[in-house]
Amino acid sequence: MISLSDFKHEHSPHSIAVSVKDLGLTYTTSIDKKPTLKARLKSLGRGKKHTRIVNALSDVNIDVHYGAVLGVIGSNGAGKSSLMRVISGIVPPTQGRVEVYGSVSTLLALGVGFNPAMTGRDNVYLGGLAAGMSREEIDKNFDAIADFSELGDAIDAPMRTYSSGMYARLAFSVAAVVEPDILIIDEALSTGDAKFKEKSLNRIKELRSSDRALILVSHALATIEDVCNEVIWLNKGTLMARGNPSEVIAQYRTFVNARKSASSDEDV
Amino acid sequence: MDKPVVVYEPFRAGMPPMRDYLRTLWGRRTFIAEFSRSELREKNYGTVFGQLWLVLNPLLLSGVYFLLIYVIGGSSDANRFGHLTATLFLFYLISNSLTGGVKAITSGQRLILNTSFPRVMLPISATVIALFKFVPTLIVFAAIHLLIGLPYSWQMLWAIPIFMIALLMGLGMSILISCINVYFRDVSSMLPYLTRSLLYLSPILYEASSVSDEIKSIQIANPLFYLLDSWSRVVVYAEAPTTFGLLHSLIWALAIFIVGTYFFLSRERDFAVRL
Ligand SMILES: Nc1ncnc2c1ncn2[C@@H]1O[C@H](COP(=O)(O)OP(=O)(O)O)[C@@H](O)[C@H]1O
Ligand SMILES: [Mg+2]
Repeated sequence: MISLSDFKHEHSPHSIAVSVKDLGLTYTTSIDKKPTLKARLKSLGRGKKHTRIVNALSDVNIDVHYGAVLGVIGSNGAGKSSLMRVISGIVPPTQGRVEVYGSVSTLLALGVGFNPAMTGRDNVYLGGLAAGMSREEIDKNFDAIADFSELGDAIDAPMRTYSSGMYARLAFSVAAVVEPDILIIDEALSTGDAKFKEKSLNRIKELRSSDRALILVSHALATIEDVCNEVIWLNKGTLMARGNPSEVIAQYRTFVNARKSASSDEDV
Repeated sequence: MDKPVVVYEPFRAGMPPMRDYLRTLWGRRTFIAEFSRSELREKNYGTVFGQLWLVLNPLLLSGVYFLLIYVIGGSSDANRFGHLTATLFLFYLISNSLTGGVKAITSGQRLILNTSFPRVMLPISATVIALFKFVPTLIVFAAIHLLIGLPYSWQMLWAIPIFMIALLMGLGMSILISCINVYFRDVSSMLPYLTRSLLYLSPILYEASSVSDEIKSIQIANPLFYLLDSWSRVVVYAEAPTTFGLLHSLIWALAIFIVGTYFFLSRERDFAVRL
């Protein structure tokens, strides 16, 4: 249940921003490709199970404080995106409890809410509204967004004519102007060309402040080590380690390398 | 600075706190409008020809059905044509709302898995789009009304509440069916048969007055029967609707809306893990 209450909160540095307790999350996917009435009726008499449970997270405990920049690492399918979805309230937890102290803005996937049939300009509004901004806020920030994206006149062309790099650039630019208390970025840094990558990284660094909490999910370990002051490592839905970036990343590297050599041994 | 503390706990089937929900929904109204506009644009209704098609399509449809009645029934008159177009257009408001709503959630997967917003926005947007498509047909009907010399009277003001009931019915159906389709994905492929049956069971190709009392009592189970009949009485014959007809459609519309919204709101937090 969502319970909103007005709460005086200054979020001074080190006060808590997100608290995750004993979090578990399972997805319900159907065994057949899609859940259908037909399949349900067929299996009625036999009491056959028609859903499969995917354990995406189990027993995860973390606290994120204001002023922190938390890096989240782990291999594909480790549950990183799932954790971000729970924190941003998109998916309810299956177990445990998540408390969020502040407004959350998430950059889970770039360009969500964009419609390729519309122009870049229209999509700035569409994407901004989807991200929870008001029309006035977008009006106010429009020039900054267009500037940041470096699209020039292309902003008035339909988005289906954009290259994927241009698409990603506009998407990041829209998201980069939102200034929430808690900002979650899920693998959205590794977009565009090298120059734009650096630019977006600089923007993230600008957003670091003592009264904001940043959570970055990325496979770019060097970036994580550079930007974050704390790192957690997820593997198969469980928390393997948390703490100092260089230490956790070193542990993760050893783990990945060990697995790599093990599998390459098998190949031989 | 006032900061809300949000707590996320395991999903239990139950209604979200209504005041907060409605407040966020209201706060998102510009998004609903913009989202509907972009969907319309995507289907090319933004162009002149697209809009022309919005007018031509219902006109052609009613032409075809008129021919059908004429060939089968043998006779036809202006009133009959007026009745056919008026009811067909209102029927399309509801059936477009249904067909737009059925996949509102299941095709909004990317949006749903990556942003948090009141999910009911998506089926609402489907009804808004149906409404956009309805407006030009209303203008077409006004022209037909004038051309074939149908009567006018103050009783025609009843069209406003009847239209509101129809809109509520369409919205309720859109919300209900979008929710059902999350759990049973084949509902969307059965829908064309459902809307087709509704079309033939409702007083569109024929008039409610030509139906025997026996069938009329069965038609109480048809949410659209008295709605379309009232609409026809008001906008074609410029008469007042019957109290029974008005109440019948209002009760059906409210029932569908309340049941649909209840199912939807009590389950919407569960949608994301099922897509
Ligand atoms: N919508 C979904 N439905 C079913 N299973 C899902 C869904 N999203 C993710 N999963 C599963 O949950 C696990 C974790 O996925 P995810 O959180 O996306 O990992 P990551 O972001 O770390 O790559 C994976 O096993 C994945 O298959
Ligand atoms: Mg991911």
